[in-house]
Amino acid sequence: MSKHDQTPHLPRRKRSGRLTLAMMGASAFGLTACGQPPQEEQITEIEFDEPKSFQSVEDCVAENVYTRSACEDAYEASLEEVPRFSTLEECEAEHGEGACTAPTEEQAQAATGNSGGSWFMPAMMGYMVGSMMSNTNRGRSFERVYQEPVYRNRQNQGNWNTATNQATQRITQRNDAMRNSVATSQRRGFGSRSSARGGWGS
Amino acid sequence: MLRIDIPERSNWKALAHELGFHFHTIDGEPYWKEDAYYQFTMEQVERDIEAPTEAVHEMCMELVDKVCHSNALMQRLALPEHMWDSIHHSWKSGQPHLYGRMDFAYSGDGPAKLLELNYDTPTSLYEAGFFQWVWLEQAISQGILPRHADQYNSIQERLINAMAHLGDRIENRTLYFSCIKDNPEERATVHYLQDVAVQAGLKAPFIYTEDIGLQTGAEHFVDLDDLPIHALFKLYPWEEMADDAFGEHIPQLNTHWFEPPWKAILSNKGILPLLWEHFEGHPNLLPAFFEDANSPPLPAGWVRKPFFSREGSNVELVTPAGHREAVGGPYTDSPWIRQAYHPMPRFGNNHALIGSWVVGDRACGMGIREDVGRITKDSSCFVPHAIV
Repeated sequence: MSKHDQTPHLPRRKRSGRLTLAMMGASAFGLTACGQPPQEEQITEIEFDEPKSFQSVEDCVAENVYTRSACEDAYEASLEEVPRFSTLEECEAEHGEGACTAPTEEQAQAATGNSGGSWFMPAMMGYMVGSMMSNTNRGRSFERVYQEPVYRNRQNQGNWNTATNQATQRITQRNDAMRNSVATSQRRGFGSRSSARGGWGS
Repeated sequence: MLRIDIPERSNWKALAHELGFHFHTIDGEPYWKEDAYYQFTMEQVERDIEAPTEAVHEMCMELVDKVCHSNALMQRLALPEHMWDSIHHSWKSGQPHLYGRMDFAYSGDGPAKLLELNYDTPTSLYEAGFFQWVWLEQAISQGILPRHADQYNSIQERLINAMAHLGDRIENRTLYFSCIKDNPEERATVHYLQDVAVQAGLKAPFIYTEDIGLQTGAEHFVDLDDLPIHALFKLYPWEEMADDAFGEHIPQLNTHWFEPPWKAILSNKGILPLLWEHFEGHPNLLPAFFEDANSPPLPAGWVRKPFFSREGSNVELVTPAGHREAVGGPYTDSPWIRQAYHPMPRFGNNHALIGSWVVGDRACGMGIREDVGRITKDSSCFVPHAIV
């Protein structure tokens, strides 16, 4: 045999001297997931429904879509979002003559927890409420309410329809920005076709 | 080259289970068989398998370079146009490859003849590289084989070296591994490669091919946590990747692939007629031609194969004596080649096929598959070999 034709003190070997497996033995088999960091939960997708407009909390409650507390919370949150100015002049310069007012006692209470506010704001005409659904990479979904104040300004001159249209535009912009900020990954772009025997090795 | 009956190791099934080799039996049929082994001489291995493998590999590398510089050849190989730049770039920038397997018809006598290359998604790696090696060591220690018995097999050692080399070139020494869902054999092969990568000091997370993510504005494909995948091993063929929904994004993203895109040239049976065209008459090559509309029905002594096919699917042959054999399958939408028929050696009822492994650019081991038919399929058995 040719093996013995070789120099006898240098036995040639065609195979490796020592092989081992690091993780594929019985105890390790199937444990790959454990070696990986836990999956961080992230929002991967947000959906928004059509918002509805209400002139007051009572209006919202009467519509029977949201609970009273949801209507109240959304009202307070939208009040927070109304632009504030320290003087009437500054406010009117921005939003038009006659558009601004100091908060009512009720509004000051809702916004700060104290009666009496020391700011001016465009007169609040009502608010819009909608709901949004966030889906995560772990397959969970969260629903919550979003809102937007409807207030008077130079363009709408207190006209309800014009004012709600403006609020709707602000909502659309904000929702689009939120949707785009979410890490939206597409999956199943590879490997969707099946092979002759359900595999691709050869 | 002989096929020798021997006793099985008494404990091998329990051992296989312990070592993660759960697919030694597939659908109730044996896949790993050790009631016999193929016996080679050192000369047969070195002169007839190892040296030709390295020679054919060199010819292949020469051809890859030619194809990369020729749109006409890319077209001839039916490579999709949106992949040409990626293929060319991956070759020009020297993106390393990991492994490949050549299938030879060899009887122990005369030159081995190249039947085809599996250079993109070769499997039977764990069986050849690890379990076969364990078999030899144990067969010697149990007195089944003589003490001087050897095996042509440094596959795993070479893989570890190649992985370590890759590790130095990839971000965070992290190489993701992937295969499709619901295929335990392929998952096991990839698991083995992860094992090898870990031994080479790499981090080797796994992601299913279907779970690879595409994120707007990102520079890489992303994992399930939307973290960038800088480098990814895929047990999934380039011709499918290119046609998939994310295929057109491959050229725009910086994810490094293993095997690299240039392997698409070699995993394509169109390479066989190109090899014959450029190296006609080489003792390890069989005459091969592209089939065209004017080709007559398959004559006796020829084999017909689709450019893209796996595990013998859609292969048809007519022996010189006129015996016709064919395997069905789904690969009917690519062009075809014709290759001169060369018989595989027959031992009893079995036809034996040599799978000769190349890791990095080195020939480093082999595995034998046998089948009662003349076309080797996914159901063909793996039988170990020894040099005695």
